Amino acid sequence: MKAKYINPFINATMNLFKDYLGLEVKSGTPIVLEDPQALDEVSGIIGLAGETTGSVVLSFSKDTAIKIISKFAGHPYQALGSEVLDGVGELINIVAGNAKKDLLDFKIVISLPGVITGNDYRIHWPEQVPVISVPFITSAGDFTLNVSLKDA
Amino acid sequence: MNFLIVDDSAVMRRIHKNILLENKIDESQIFEAENGEVAVKIAENEDIGLFLLDWNMPKLDGLKFVQIIRSIDRYEDTPIIMITSEAAKYNVVDAISAGVTNYVVKPIKGDILWEKISRYIK
Repeated sequence: MKAKYINPFINATMNLFKDYLGLEVKSGTPIVLEDPQALDEVSGIIGLAGETTGSVVLSFSKDTAIKIISKFAGHPYQALGSEVLDGVGELINIVAGNAKKDLLDFKIVISLPGVITGNDYRIHWPEQVPVISVPFITSAGDFTLNVSLKDA
Repeated sequence: MNFLIVDDSAVMRRIHKNILLENKIDESQIFEAENGEVAVKIAENEDIGLFLLDWNMPKLDGLKFVQIIRSIDRYEDTPIIMITSEAAKYNVVDAISAGVTNYVVKPIKGDILWEKISRYIK
């Protein structure tokens, strides 16, 4: 996966969490995700199709998801209810949709978002395409952005 | 003037509704739909003056909703603000061609969205 394909997703994530939500955000060094099970308890996932294929996942701890969606919605959620999960889906939708404008090599269609919860799940990523995982450290908790996208 | 918020995300509907309420729009003027199909039914039964419309939704998406709503005589020129995460230029072109009045990319701050909405308030 070319490096230039990960940057639009990092920029879209920074824009959402730093500029829009007003959180203090630092992104860490991207790594190749060796263990696809190494994701947090709450993951928003979106599929990419069209002139390439791939998936994008934002993965949070339960507490971080609740804090971030409370900030996003301007409403204090106390538990991981349906509206918080809905909000996680909306965050990944915004990241994927915003990244499209800078992915100039292909025309992409994004799927409706899905949200997975639990401690023991496995995402079946596209075969033979590495998953790049980028850690984000924020004032509301840490999360990872995970992207797998076939080269043009 | 009535407003119809069309978005499959309950959180987004909450955010948009709060922007309207904060700007003195009465709750009785605000209608909500979780997809285009439900929105068409509400639009047929109510007199909607402004649509706040998402793009990607199950059952009937935003673009198909626009095509249907524009075929109803009384909604031929009613403002439709599409509020979507779809930021690619080709998406904007498709939406405007379909009959969307204004195109806004999420995330958008409440005061900026309200500035766009207020242009259409009679």
